[in-house]
Amino acid sequence: MKWSSNKSWLLFLPAVLFLILPLYGLAAAISQSFQQQGEWTLSAYQQLFQSDRFLSAVGFSLEVAFLSSLLSLLIGLLFTRSFYPYLASHTPRLIVWMPMLFPHFVWGYMVILLLSETGVLAQVFTLLGGDDFPTLTQDSRGIGIILTYVWKEVPFVILMLLPVYATIKPEYYDLVKTLGGGAWSQFKQVEWPHLLPVMIETFLIVFAFTISAYEVPALLGTTFPEMLSVLSYNWFYGSSWDDRSLAFAAMVLLSLFILILTFIGYIYMNKKRFRMMKGKS
Amino acid sequence: MSYVLEANDLTKQFHKERILNRVQFQLKKGEVLSIVGPSGSGKTTLLRTLAGLEKPTEGTLSMSGHDITEKKANERSIGLVFQQPLLFPHMTVEENIRYGAKFARSSKKDSVTDLLSAIELSDYRGYYPAEISGGQQQRVALARAIATEPDVILFDEPFSSLDPKLRHDLRIWLREFLAERSITSIFVTHDTEEAMLMGDRVGVFHEGTFQQIDRPEVLYKEPANAFVARFIGGHFVLSEHEYIPLSNCSVTTNAYETGRRYMATIQHITFQHGQTIAHMSMEDLNKTTTLPVAGAEVGQTVWLSFPDEQICAFGGRAV
Repeated sequence: MKWSSNKSWLLFLPAVLFLILPLYGLAAAISQSFQQQGEWTLSAYQQLFQSDRFLSAVGFSLEVAFLSSLLSLLIGLLFTRSFYPYLASHTPRLIVWMPMLFPHFVWGYMVILLLSETGVLAQVFTLLGGDDFPTLTQDSRGIGIILTYVWKEVPFVILMLLPVYATIKPEYYDLVKTLGGGAWSQFKQVEWPHLLPVMIETFLIVFAFTISAYEVPALLGTTFPEMLSVLSYNWFYGSSWDDRSLAFAAMVLLSLFILILTFIGYIYMNKKRFRMMKGKS
Repeated sequence: MSYVLEANDLTKQFHKERILNRVQFQLKKGEVLSIVGPSGSGKTTLLRTLAGLEKPTEGTLSMSGHDITEKKANERSIGLVFQQPLLFPHMTVEENIRYGAKFARSSKKDSVTDLLSAIELSDYRGYYPAEISGGQQQRVALARAIATEPDVILFDEPFSSLDPKLRHDLRIWLREFLAERSITSIFVTHDTEEAMLMGDRVGVFHEGTFQQIDRPEVLYKEPANAFVARFIGGHFVLSEHEYIPLSNCSVTTNAYETGRRYMATIQHITFQHGQTIAHMSMEDLNKTTTLPVAGAEVGQTVWLSFPDEQICAFGGRAV
């Protein structure tokens, strides 16, 4: 006992060791984003904010990531709320979680095979007499990317929300009824306070992933507008060595944005959770 | 006469099992009815059916002369206080009560403040449920139920999760609280002492129906059947038809000259209310009983004597 209380910092060691690599990567990226031809400068950041390509990539990335995360959350919530008694058994739960087993790029290929203009659905559409199948993949509005992410992330949202529903005492639903409340009151007072912190957490995870992941937008996106990750990749592996600092600066700004968002979410969530568990003190 | 609550032949069946069997009772304005019975007798199902959380298979339920059998729980003017306080953990004490008041038919501005003061928790209005004790939580749950201004409040063993001292104090507090406000209520418990303390009348519930509903002293003096006599205690049940109050039994080391007598062995001794209580087994009758016996010793053989003239028949008839 004495050992564990005195040396509890040792327990952090594995986590610290694990974080060395990404932290080194982040530090190196920050350092290189402020350097050009061996000199310290803010020019990469200045160029970024003057670049229309970068600003449209930011807008497009935010839009795609926000819509993907929000739709995943809403569909996942609706699905979990409607079917959670069935999802308690093994087989239905496995079926729902199946898409999580596939890597994102495999899922992206599947969406192309199904929904592209030469895909399965388009062929069925033509066979049925249709002559103008809508562009759902590699489109300028990011529909293909959003569809892929929503399809892939809904099972993850269910995975996160299912334990919440499993822990809500069913007596609370009866309580609201006997007090005079209906279905909306049950959702608002019984479910929502438990769901909200997990929803924020899940949103942050899905949002951080969708705004920064590369494979899906590279497969299903267009050259303009492009997602921030694709643009950074192109700058990083492009022919001009000078563009590398732009790639680093873009990724540093994105990381900073995600960190600030996570910090705000974390503070808010913990305040809510702490009050439910311990009160104000 | 129109009763505040009246159940007629209320029956509830789950698959083939009949949980409530033609339950019948009436409740007057301001009356407190205690329902006592062993676990699994159907008490909670009865409360849930009255509250509208379960639909009866047969029978009717009316409030002040109006049939409410088909009404949903949130449309009935019946509140329910559960075994657990079930306070909303994200709301303060005051917000929990205010949530109940939101559904009240008439909204008085000061009702929440009044209720906080009535439950003696005005100083805790800004506290969260995690910051107050179990007894305080249960009082908040009661105030929240009252805030909806129901015509009847149902209590489903509200003190069962509290320690004996707190439980005792809260019983007295609640009894006075209900009496002062003339709140019509049904109090379910499995504890006979609690039932007698809380109720103007006590209903003994067994096998899905009332075995007897009466004032506590009538239940004790004139049990309707062997089950009531055994459950209420204080009687020696001789057969399914006759019993003798334990106060009329005598324990001697010699056989009583007249009446029935049975040999008993003292197996355990406990002490209660300043008396030595002997727990005895009567091998001839294959029964056990408990009586105060001065100077009792474990292993001692004694005679229990029942004078013939004191033996009673169930239902208050003389033998």
